[in-house]
Amino acid sequence: MLDKLFQLKDDLYDQKIDQRIDRVFEELKNQYPTGEDAWGLNLKKAKTILKKSYPLYTKYFDVRVFHREPSAISDGRPLVIVSNHSGQIAIDAMLVSMAFVLDVHPPRILRQMVERFFTKIPFVNIWASEGGAVLGDRKNCQKLLERGESVMAFPEGVPGVAKSTKDYYQLQYFTQGFIRMALKSKVDILPVAVVGAEQIFPWVYQAKDIAKFFGIPALPLSPLYFPLPSPVDIYIGNPITLPSDLSSDAGDDEIDEHVVMIKNIIKEMIDEGLEQRRKVFGLSEDLAKKFGL
Amino acid sequence: MRNFLIIGIAGGLAQILVKKLLAEYPDCNIVGIDSRYIPFFAGRDDIKTIRMKYTRNQFEKVFREYVFDAVFHLARMTHASNNYEERVSQNLIGTKRILDLSKRNKVKKIIFFSTYHVYGALHDNPMFLSEDSLPRASINHPELRDVVEMDQLATNWMWKNQNEIETIVFRPCTIIGAKIKNTMTRYLTTPYAPVCADFNPMFQFVHEEDMALICCHSLKKLPTGVYNVAGSDVIGLDRAREVLEMPSIPIPSFVLHASAKLTRAVFWRFPEYLIDYIQYSCIIDNNLLIQHLGEDIFEYRAKEALLSCKGESDESR
Repeated sequence: MLDKLFQLKDDLYDQKIDQRIDRVFEELKNQYPTGEDAWGLNLKKAKTILKKSYPLYTKYFDVRVFHREPSAISDGRPLVIVSNHSGQIAIDAMLVSMAFVLDVHPPRILRQMVERFFTKIPFVNIWASEGGAVLGDRKNCQKLLERGESVMAFPEGVPGVAKSTKDYYQLQYFTQGFIRMALKSKVDILPVAVVGAEQIFPWVYQAKDIAKFFGIPALPLSPLYFPLPSPVDIYIGNPITLPSDLSSDAGDDEIDEHVVMIKNIIKEMIDEGLEQRRKVFGLSEDLAKKFGL
Repeated sequence: MRNFLIIGIAGGLAQILVKKLLAEYPDCNIVGIDSRYIPFFAGRDDIKTIRMKYTRNQFEKVFREYVFDAVFHLARMTHASNNYEERVSQNLIGTKRILDLSKRNKVKKIIFFSTYHVYGALHDNPMFLSEDSLPRASINHPELRDVVEMDQLATNWMWKNQNEIETIVFRPCTIIGAKIKNTMTRYLTTPYAPVCADFNPMFQFVHEEDMALICCHSLKKLPTGVYNVAGSDVIGLDRAREVLEMPSIPIPSFVLHASAKLTRAVFWRFPEYLIDYIQYSCIIDNNLLIQHLGEDIFEYRAKEALLSCKGESDESR
C-alpha cells in the first residue's frame, strides 16, 4: 500500500498525463463552448479535479475498463447510464465518471444524479456540481437528456452504496425512475457494473436503526475508515433500447418488467466480473475470502 | 388613442417602460401613480403623474376619469422591507383593489409584476423551474408569505376572470441595470460583500431595458398567463461578482445566517431570506416567454447586463 502511495506522488507530476487530460478536455470544449453550464459544471475546474484524482484512478484503484462493444456508443448520443452502487462513500461514481472521460470515446461528462441531501453539504456541493453532478430530480434529468447530455443513475440509491459487508455485491431494490426517464426522452439505457469498489471499505456493519433514529442516510460502523486500494473493474454493457410503444406513464407492472431485465443484466456482468477479479491486496482467493474481502 | 396606467411610476423600470410605450404608441396617454415622490415627467402633456397611495379611495377616481387600455402594476412593495403590516396592506389589499377596479372599469389588459422569489431558493430546487412549479418561498421564511400570496392572488384572479380581462403575471429573475436599485443589485455592486464560502449558486439576470421591452410587447403578443422572465444564460455568483470586479469575503454559510440575525438591525440591511438566494440556486425556465416573443427579445446577455449595472454605480459614487 505504501508503494502505491509513493507511486501516487510521482504520478502527480507526470507531464504525459497532463497532456492526455488536456487533449480530452479540448474535445469536450466542443460540447461546452463556454466551459460552463446552468447546473454549475465548470470544465476548467473539472479538469483540475480530474488531474488531481488521476493517480487515484490509475494507480491507487488501478481501474480497468471493459467494453462489450465500444462502437455501440461511439456516436456520442445521450444515454441513461445505470450501474450498481457500492463503496460506502460513492467512490464508484467518481471512478465511472472518470472512465467515461478518459477511457470511453467520445469522452462524456456524466451528469451524476445525486441524492437530495447531497446538495446541502457545504463545499462538497460545489466540487460535485463543478464536476458535473446534479440533483437527482426528474425535471433536471429530462432537461439534461434533451440537451444531449448523458446522465448516470444508481437505481439502488443509498441502500446500494451503504451495505454491510455480508451484503456486498447483492443488488438492492431498483427504483423505476431511470426507465421512465429513458422512455420519456427516448434514449437508450447503458448498463454498467462496477466490481471491486465494495472492498474499498471492508468489514462494515451498517447500523440502519441508529441511522434512522438520528435521521441520517447511513451509519457505517467499521474498524477502518480509510479507503483501501482495492482494484476496481468497470464493465460497460451494450445499450438497451426500450420498446417504442411503451409509455413513460405506463403502469408499474409494465415498467418493472424492464427494471428486472436491466437488473439481471447488471447482475450477470457483476458475476462475470467477480470471476475475473484481480487479487485483493495481493492475497490469494482463499485468504481474501477468509478476511472477508 | 390609448390610455395606460402605470402604478409604481417612480421606479426605475417604470421610467424605461414609459419611453418604450411612447415609442411604440406615440399618441398614447400615460397616467402614473406612486406613493413615493415622483421626480420625472413633470410638465408633460402626455404623462400625468399623481402621488397617492393606491389603497386610498381617491385611487378609484382615476379609474372613473380615464378609460384605460392597460394597467401596469409595478408597485409591489419590496419584501426586503421589514414593515410586514404595510406590505400586507399594499401588496395584498392594494393588489386586490387594482384588479377589481380594472375589471369594473373595463380595462382590457393588466400586466402584473410578481417575482421569481416566489419559488424560493431551496437546496432541492431542480434547475429551470417552470411556471407551474410550486411557490415554496415561505417554507423556510414565513415572512415571505405575502409575496407568495400576492402572486397566487393575481394568478387565481387571472384564471377566474380570463374571459373578461386579459392578465399577464410576470415572474422575472433579478432585474438589473443602471436605473434599478433593488437589494440584489446593491449586494452585487458592494465591494467586500460576504459570499458563502461553501456554496456557489447559479444566477439569472434580465436587463432593465429588456424587461421594459417585454412588458411593452406583452400588450400585443402575450396571451393571458404566468410567464417566467429570464435571459437564457446562467452564471455563478462568484463569476457575477468577478464580472463586476467586486472583491468578496467568503464566509461559511452557517456563520452568515447567524451573523445576519445578530447584525441586521445595526450593520447590515441584507434580509435574512436573501442569504438563501446567495446559497442555493433558483433558476427559472423561460421557454413559455420565448415561445411567444422569440429568443431575440433579450438584447443583453448576463455579462452585459451586469456591466451596465456597474457603470451606473461607478458614476453615482
